[in-house]
Order: sequence, then C-alpha cells, then structure tokens
Amino acid sequence: MTKKAIYGLSVLAVVLGLYGFYSRLFIGEREVNYGSFVTWGLWVAMYLFFAGVASGSYMVATLDYLFEIPLFKGVGKYALWGAMVTLPAALMSIGFDLGHMERIWKVYLNPNFSSLLAQMVWGYTIFGMVILLTLWMVFRSPEKPPLALKLLMVVGFIMAIFVSGGVGALLGVNASRLVWHVGLLPAQFPIFSAATGFALLLVILAFFGPEDDPRLGQQLRVLGITVIVMLIVKTYILWADFSMSLYSGVPQNVDAINEVLFGQYWWAFWIIQIILGTVLPVIVLAIPNLSRQRLWAGVMGLLVLVGFAAARANIVFPALTIPELEGLATAFSGPHLSFEYFPSLMEWSVTVGIMGLATLAFLIGLDRLPFFKKVQDLSHER
Amino acid sequence: MNTSAEVKEVTRRNFLRGAAGLTGAAVALAALDELEAHPETALASYEAQIAALQAVNNDPTQMDVLERMRIELLRALQKPVEDRRWIMVIDLRKCVGCHACTIACVAENKLPPGVVYRPVLEEEFGEYPNVTRRFTPRPCMQCENPPCTPVCPVEATYTNAEGVVVVDYDQCIGCRACIAACPYGARTSDFGLTYTEDLPVADNLIVGMDTAEAYERASNFEYGEARSRKGHSSPIGNARKCHFCLHRVRVGELPACVTTCIGRATLFGDANDPHSLVAEMSAKPNVIRLKEELGTEPRVYYLV
Repeated sequence: MTKKAIYGLSVLAVVLGLYGFYSRLFIGEREVNYGSFVTWGLWVAMYLFFAGVASGSYMVATLDYLFEIPLFKGVGKYALWGAMVTLPAALMSIGFDLGHMERIWKVYLNPNFSSLLAQMVWGYTIFGMVILLTLWMVFRSPEKPPLALKLLMVVGFIMAIFVSGGVGALLGVNASRLVWHVGLLPAQFPIFSAATGFALLLVILAFFGPEDDPRLGQQLRVLGITVIVMLIVKTYILWADFSMSLYSGVPQNVDAINEVLFGQYWWAFWIIQIILGTVLPVIVLAIPNLSRQRLWAGVMGLLVLVGFAAARANIVFPALTIPELEGLATAFSGPHLSFEYFPSLMEWSVTVGIMGLATLAFLIGLDRLPFFKKVQDLSHER
Repeated sequence: MNTSAEVKEVTRRNFLRGAAGLTGAAVALAALDELEAHPETALASYEAQIAALQAVNNDPTQMDVLERMRIELLRALQKPVEDRRWIMVIDLRKCVGCHACTIACVAENKLPPGVVYRPVLEEEFGEYPNVTRRFTPRPCMQCENPPCTPVCPVEATYTNAEGVVVVDYDQCIGCRACIAACPYGARTSDFGLTYTEDLPVADNLIVGMDTAEAYERASNFEYGEARSRKGHSSPIGNARKCHFCLHRVRVGELPACVTTCIGRATLFGDANDPHSLVAEMSAKPNVIRLKEELGTEPRVYYLV
C-alpha cells in the first residue's frame, strides 16, 4: 500500500517536473531566479544534497560489505541502490544549472585540475563507476563478500569521502565569501553525507524493508540512534561555525550568519532545519517503542533528509546574498541582478521532477532488479 | 497619427542609424584583421597617427588627457604584446556619478539586460549638514592574482599576454564558479534576455521596434569576434566581464568608458611605459586598490 502511494507520488512529481524540464531544455535559463549575484540557487543546493546522500549511502553500505556487521547483513544493496539513483539526481541537478550543459564533455577533454569543479566532475564519474562495479560484484556474489569486493568498498569509501568533502571545498576555496572560507566546510560535509546516508537507509528499511525480517525492529532502532548521534554532531558543528563567526565579528561573515538566523530564510533554518529536521527526529527516534515502528522511523528519516536539504540551501544562498561591495546592490538594475533570492516555480518544478525520477528509479529497481529479490529470498531463508 | 508610409520611413531611417553604428564596429573588426595580416602596416599607421596628434599639440601638459593617452596607447601598441601592462586609474575626486561610462560600456559591448561590466557604486556618508557622496566606478579589476581563473573547470577564463583577464566564450560551460569567486562582483551571467523581446506592444505602436530588435540580435565585437545573439549561442549562457575593451585597444582606440568620461576621471594606459599618464598617476601617494588585503593585486587603481 505504502509502495503504491509512493509510486503514485513519484509519477505525480515527474509530471510536475515536465514543465521545468521543458523550460530549461528548450527555453533556457530565463525563468530562473538565481542570477549574477546569487549565482547558485536551489539546483546547486540540491546537487550538494543528492551528492551527499549518494556518497553517504555508499559509506553506509560498507557496514554490510566491508565490515560485515551481522545486523546489516543483506541491507547493503539497498544503500548501494540508493547511491546509484541519487548520484544521477545530483548530476542532473547541477547539469541543469550549467549555462552550456552541452559542453560538459570539455571538462573531460580540457580539464583544469586546479578547479575543484573539474575535480568533482572527474571524481563523481569515477565514483559512479565504482558504485556500478560494486553493484555488479554484489550481484555476482550475494552470499559472502569476496576480497575483491572488500577492496573495492575501501576504494569507494575513500572516493565517497573525497567527493563529499570536495563539494565542501568547492565552496570553501572562495576566499571572497568569508562564511564559506573555513576549513570546517570540507570537514563537515562528509559527516553530513554519512548522516543522510543513514537517514536514507532508515527510510528505505522502514518503508520497503523485508516484511518478515525479525531483525527489522533492531535495525531501525540502531539506525535511529546513529541518526541521533549524527544530528547532535551536526548541531555541534553548526554551533561551532556560527558562534565562531559571530564572535569574530567580521561584518561580511556576521551578515551571512544573521541572514540564516533572522533573514529571509529564517523559516528554512528554524522550522525546517532545526525543529522538523533535528529536534523532532531526535525526540521521536530516542523513544525506543516509536523508533522501532516502521511508520515513525520512516517519517523521521524523511524529515531528517528534508532538514539536511534545507541545511545545504542555508549554506549556499545566504553567503551569496551579501554584496561583495557597498553599493553594488543598487548600482545597476536589471533581471538576475538581485541579492534576494527565492527559487522560481520553474526551479521548483525541475527539483520536484528530479526527486520524482530518482524515487521512481529506486522503486522500479526494487521491484525489477533480480538482486533485491535475492535479498528478500535470503531474509526468508533466515 | 502616423500613416503606414511614415512609420516605414522612420523605421528605415532608424535602421540606417543602427547600421552606421554596426558599420563602425565592423570597421574596427576589419582593422583587427588587418593588424594580424600586416603588422608592419599597422605600425606605420600608429606612427602616422601619433605624428598627426602631436602636430596639433606637442606639449603633454597642455593637451587633453584623452589625446595624451591615445598617443601613449599607440606607442604601447608598437611594443611586443607581452611588454605591455594595461592598467586603469580612476580619480574618484573627479567622478560626478553621471554613469556615462556604464552606458558607453553597455552600448559598446551591446550588453543585454542583467549584464553589466562597469556599474558605478554610489555611497552616501555623514549626517546633515555634513553629508557627502562617493561614486566608485567598478570595472573588472584585471587582478594579477585573479581568484576567478583557477576555479574555472575548463580554463575558459585566463589572463592573456597583455595582463587582461578574458573569457573564451566557446570554451565556457556556464557553471558561474568564476562569478562566485570574484571578490568584486565584477562578472555577470548572460541569461539570454533582450530588451525588446516580449514587450507588450501593438503593431506599429512603437516606432523603430523592428530596428531595435534587429540591433539587439546583431553582432557585438568583443574580443574581436562577431557574435550575434541567436538561439542559445555564446555569449548567452556564459559568464561575461569587462575586458578593458581589448577589441578597441588593439586598434589604437581607448576603452569606451575612458573616452566618454566627462570628468576625465578614468585613465587608461601602459604601466610599463614610465612616461605614461597612468604610470605617473598610479605612483601617487593617494592611490588605493579595492580589497588590497585579499592579495589579488588589482590593475585598477583609485585616486582618493
């Protein structure tokens, strides 16, 4: 029943996304609200989010195939498949953000490796191939992970940290944006990614996990506690970041933090990221009875993911809403020359469409890919 | 009320006017081709132009700074490219905030809506009766250590032999990483808009509408290349920026913002020429550069 509902919602999301896809592919970027001042908008934030989920999911898959933790035996495939569908979602999101997406091949043929962006394009390409190879190897030997698979998981784990930290560095290297230009960013992004990986697995197992697996309650409980720990770590990092910035009092940095806390995105921070994405899940998942129940665990996992998506947006937009020079905001007026930003309908449409496609791909894989059948068979055998 | 014939007549006249502007730009483009094909002829031409300018007035202290800068520019063009170092000096005490430079730049480079290379920042200080305003024209700083170039994933933006940070429109993938990296907000993205498209007008109600549309679509000549705005072709979708009007400079013309400055507040020239006006003015004690602390080493100097 749940799966059918999610199928329906995914198809609806794809339909809603058709307008955005059409507008972006056939009209261009005229209907977007990001511009020359807020250069990166919703699509870049969603790229960071989806890419983080992909690398985090791969990290989580190591619990099964590298560390062979009995409780997670057989669920690594879900995490891997989650990584496989979220990585293209990330690349789609960032691809649509490019002014000339048809020239992406230039990053392969004429790369400038001093650019973090070029490193990321190559990194994600290699990471995508590693995920595919891992899936193939898992499919070939479902029972016991061979040494080759373990070695591949080590490579993939390192790649996952590289790409998730890399996107942090992608923002962090911009010395002109003080709020980004801290070592914390590339350090905290892999932690954010791992947290979203755990949250995604929580959602997957809660909604689609094998019905009769006796371990499910315990799995949800352990994943719930892990997510709580991750959320506490995330909140501590946030506190360290914000308090240091506010204490130092450097105007551009303070302005950006104030923008997050009290500016045009205050609701995204306080309501979505903190209350719904952190406080509520921590409380619910801390209650043993609730955290073992599929619906509660799944919904909380979903809220954590939404909270992290908002967190990514709260990193990207506010830093860009602070003018580089006094008077720049009013010096010249025109479309796409604003320091205020809220995504346009077309931007939302694209994002909803991408989410729909990723969810649909996940569900179809779950139903059609033979190896999920085998997982379910295995759990039956147990 | 205009008759149809009158409208057509006016439209034709507007068209001719627009065509004259385009012809001027095309002549500049032809001059660039000529320069590449016959550099020795170009050199002789520069010398002749210098002689003609000096025949009118040979005293640098008496001549208009535009004439002096033009002579110095023509002199610099006779040197190998790598021996030139273009800089700009802007005297903020002389800037009256007329925005003529901004408009000249928009016209010269045919900038579409939302794209600006040289806005003038306006600030107001103090409280009545001690109130003052400051106008700061902000072209690209043409940094010696530009933060915008290393972040480009495909080396589409780089510092050329003359020290000017340029964009290869055909190479740019439109990721806007360079725009985010610029500490001066000196880059803007071309989202493919035009001033005339989708204007809610009835037929023949706005005289010259068709000419304006044709003008907007016709080529500009940035970097010495003719690029018309068609479909999604570059520079649409690209990051764009001030390039010190290289297409003008290479044929011996000063940048558009310099020639249109009514207060002669913007100076341009070769800093490697010790006798040039910009070399003299950039050595003054009251010179500053924006965000010096970032270590970007801007090539735009401000006199305060």
